[in-house]
Amino acid sequence: MPGPSSSPTVGEEITAEAVLAELDAILTEVVGDDLLLDGPLAMDTSFDEDLQLESIEFVALAEKLLITYGERVDFVAWMATMELDDIIALTVGQVVDFVVESLAAVPGGG
Amino acid sequence: MPHVQANGLSFHVQELRGGPSEGTSNGSSDSPAAVARPKVVMLHGLVIDNLSSWYYTIAHPMALEADVHLYDLRGHGRTEQPASGYSVDENVDDLVALLDHWGIDEPVHLFGNSFGGVVSLAMAHRHPERVASLFLIEAHFAVEGWGEHMAGSLALAAFGLDEDAVQDWLAENADRKLSRLAKRSERFLMETSLIDDLQAEKPIDWLAEIACPTFAIYGSESDILDRARELEAKVPGCELEIVPGSSHSLLTEESNLIRERALAWIARTQRG
Repeated sequence: MPGPSSSPTVGEEITAEAVLAELDAILTEVVGDDLLLDGPLAMDTSFDEDLQLESIEFVALAEKLLITYGERVDFVAWMATMELDDIIALTVGQVVDFVVESLAAVPGGG
Repeated sequence: MPHVQANGLSFHVQELRGGPSEGTSNGSSDSPAAVARPKVVMLHGLVIDNLSSWYYTIAHPMALEADVHLYDLRGHGRTEQPASGYSVDENVDDLVALLDHWGIDEPVHLFGNSFGGVVSLAMAHRHPERVASLFLIEAHFAVEGWGEHMAGSLALAAFGLDEDAVQDWLAENADRKLSRLAKRSERFLMETSLIDDLQAEKPIDWLAEIACPTFAIYGSESDILDRARELEAKVPGCELEIVPGSSHSLLTEESNLIRERALAWIARTQRG
């Protein structure tokens, strides 16, 4: 097992697998033992339908995600493009892809 | 979860700030970097509601234009739930304490949904110098018999005293998030002074004293449409819109429309 996850550093490629694992850890942190999940967290798992996440729990999850990945992930702009139904229908994979694309799109700053 | 201590309680807050960040400018001279962004605070409704109803609807688009502050009202969401202190005035005291905590001394644009609407109105009445405008969605406020009505509508929402209705409702909605919400809401109603405090509210007789620009929007099928007419008649210059076919759940039923109106309102009132 790898050690505790840490913030990505410049030049490091962030894979969907890594973000998925991070999201899994955050979910457990936010929801605790009460998490509804038969089997591993998958890209097509939906927050509302499958995980039965309360909306206030999704807020907490998004926040921890931002703390983990920092300002390079412009969550506000992304959420602003979505309508209520889109947010309710969000899947794990959509969030993972958004994070991966955000981190890939921005140069490391050096 | 960011929590801040204000007015003796621990509040769950979310601050959203989007749009072009400083330092990313490509040197274009017309970027109005010196123009201050409007400050917006959004107040949600009662018991089953929390800041997520804003977070899921208009908070993010608004955060591209303004600094948006959300918080769970006392007793709600992830804010502390004291045994008592649920009057409108105490909610106003909370808002004042939070504005102080955030260091906001300029007038803010208040967005109030349902019960958040009456807190916003009362804030504008008690502290007019701190309120730039009011955007009210299905605002509830005390008229004659208000306490009975609030308690009645809470019971109708199946969290109240009608045991059969609660059981039926839970059976139909026996999924995780709703049953958790129902349990928390029942605790809120049974173990705090919320209902007593609301029933003790006096009818508002100061609407004519509201001095800031005010927009009110209600659904044509709302059970509190009389409040819309009262706002229009009494609040000076109040603009009223009635959305055909919508109910008291206007924010979620018509979130796109509310989003458009909210962005237009901020652009207009900030310019003025």
